[in-house]
Amino acid sequence: MQILEAARGLIPVRRRVRIGVTGLRRSGKTSLLTSLAVNLLAMGRGIPALPELSGHLAGRSLRVKLAPAGADAMPRFDATAKAASLATDPPQWPHPTDTVSLLAVDLDIGQAGMFGFLPAQGLRLEFLDYPGEWLLDLPLLAQNFTDWSESTLRRLEAFPEARDVLGFVHGLPKGVAADEDLVASGHRLYVDCLRALQSRGLSLLQPGRFLMPAPGATPPWQGFFPFSGSGRMASLLQDRFDAYVRAIKQELQQPGFAGIDRLIVIADLLSALHAGRVAFDDAAQALALVAAALGQRRPLPLLPSWLQPWGIGRIAFVATKADHVASRQRANLASLMSKLIEAPDHADWRAFALASINCTEDFVWTLDGRPVSAVRGHVAGQGVVRSYPGEVPNQRPDLADWSHAFLSLPNFSPKRLDPGGRGTIPQIELDRLLVFLLEDML
Amino acid sequence: MSETRIAPRIEIENPVAGRLIPEALPAVATAPSPGMGTLGLIGAGLGVLVAGLSALSIGNFIADEFARAPWLGWVSSAVAATGAGLIATAAWRELRFIHKLDAVDQLRADLADPNRAKDAAKTWLRTLPHSADLAPALDAVNDPDAILALLRAGPAKIIAEQAQALGRAAAMQMAAITAAVPSPALDGAIVTLRGIRLVRQVAGLYGFRPSTFGTIALVRRTLLSGVYVTSANLVVDMMMKAVTSNAHVQTLAGDVAGTGTAARRMIVLARATAAACSPVSPEA
Repeated sequence: MQILEAARGLIPVRRRVRIGVTGLRRSGKTSLLTSLAVNLLAMGRGIPALPELSGHLAGRSLRVKLAPAGADAMPRFDATAKAASLATDPPQWPHPTDTVSLLAVDLDIGQAGMFGFLPAQGLRLEFLDYPGEWLLDLPLLAQNFTDWSESTLRRLEAFPEARDVLGFVHGLPKGVAADEDLVASGHRLYVDCLRALQSRGLSLLQPGRFLMPAPGATPPWQGFFPFSGSGRMASLLQDRFDAYVRAIKQELQQPGFAGIDRLIVIADLLSALHAGRVAFDDAAQALALVAAALGQRRPLPLLPSWLQPWGIGRIAFVATKADHVASRQRANLASLMSKLIEAPDHADWRAFALASINCTEDFVWTLDGRPVSAVRGHVAGQGVVRSYPGEVPNQRPDLADWSHAFLSLPNFSPKRLDPGGRGTIPQIELDRLLVFLLEDML
Repeated sequence: MSETRIAPRIEIENPVAGRLIPEALPAVATAPSPGMGTLGLIGAGLGVLVAGLSALSIGNFIADEFARAPWLGWVSSAVAATGAGLIATAAWRELRFIHKLDAVDQLRADLADPNRAKDAAKTWLRTLPHSADLAPALDAVNDPDAILALLRAGPAKIIAEQAQALGRAAAMQMAAITAAVPSPALDGAIVTLRGIRLVRQVAGLYGFRPSTFGTIALVRRTLLSGVYVTSANLVVDMMMKAVTSNAHVQTLAGDVAGTGTAARRMIVLARATAAACSPVSPEA
């Protein structure tokens, strides 16, 4: 096998791996991509910023550089500017992405030992940043308007924020005409409801482009809302829903999205736990739906080619902000993530508890006479803060668990970084994630 | 029976403390050094025997000469001291060259460090002739990537082109010599000797004057740096086309087996030596 790996360098073509990075809202995709870029570049300078990757390379040389954009139409992820903002004093968290972007990194991996004379093998890693809101459109690709409307309206019953839109939908007379003003009012009420639920911390908010529209003018077919009646309005809404689904499918079949080999799905489970049972169940349901959409074995008529199951060889389900809990709790966090998803049977998958930017350090805190593992970190305006966020459950919390107070998460600042963000970014498990995704390519 | 849980808690530990400092990066686990091997031990033993017994013999010889006549003893001492001094000078020269090679690594690391890149660039420029023109441009930029780009576009490119010219000249010679030499065994010896000369010529472009052991060290580094440059097969192919565009060389390359290989080795060797001597890593 070592001979085969060494011989890869003889092929004068740079191999390409495209890794989709997507996740629920505010889960930390931007931080993850920034940390990946900075630490990979540091690895190229000989700094062991990703120790697990260094170990996997086993002495082989590694050169890393950001790949030139050339005449590519896909916007590039500006890792340099985002790293620089983290390194300022006071630090600025990088702005979340609001559109698709690409982080492309070229690796040249040399050979070690008796194969040292062989040329380095070239590998291009392309991380495709896909907005979290749009991720939740994937399950729509396998649904029709009637099913989606029924499940959505049923779910909304539980939330007071949905009172207006539910009142409007249920109040429409039978066989109502497809009046544009009525449709526009229904759409506006539904979008307002989604926004209110989003600010409450909920995740399963469909369609995603209602909350984060694609760049450019809003097309007319985007003006729909869930509706369970029949008649001309129902037909119009169904047509628009179908057009929406077709547009997503066409977009995902663009060359930029095709050929995804690996996928990272990110979720901030700790914040969902802290937000309470409703928000957590909602995030869990969203994750399960996404995992199920990715886990379909048979080709779905509407699922784009890059999301057909055999296109993606490895999937990493990542629970972020793992630095907010002590290292003893992180195995529980990874276990919780793995219990929330239905394992895709067509691809290798693994759950991770990860912090792209490690802001804290562990220490033992004696509380109520008992030693507990806690973390400390800097919070802007408060100095160094100690935090014991409670026990992280290792599986879906039951009723008894919810009766206890759950996590509270301080807004920790990043540790001091080298000026310009050109050094390394401390991380947790990011190196293991990278090795899992790429071990067959390195 | 339910376990009593400790409630979540947040406390300010130090209201005036600044942000945390990242911990030092963990050392990467590497295979333990196997230590000196059997051949190494035998070699070291032979070295100690030769050097030690020679020193003892010389000492005894000088003592005997003093016993015969004091002036003979002084003359013997002077001869021994002169010989030892010359050997020490050679050793010092070798060590100094190896140290200079190590300094290239340090310079390369400094250039990769955003905080030291500018000083390192100036340090390197000071060792090169005709590089004063670049100083104002270097003073004007602060971005470490831009500094590297400036060096790549300036002195690194000029020297690399000179090294490539030396490689092409050596390739032409090899193409002719391998066709003229009747013995394949002799071919190998000539290629080796010309290769060593080429390594020393290219090293000279970077301000190095390697001697015997220094050349060996440089050849070793050159072979390692070959990992970087042999990947640029297209470039080498292009240069080979330039070399074999000569009608006579084309005929030789077509008629005599090994001509093309020997010439190609010279071009790769020149590029690899340049990569080993230059603190500015080549762009992939």
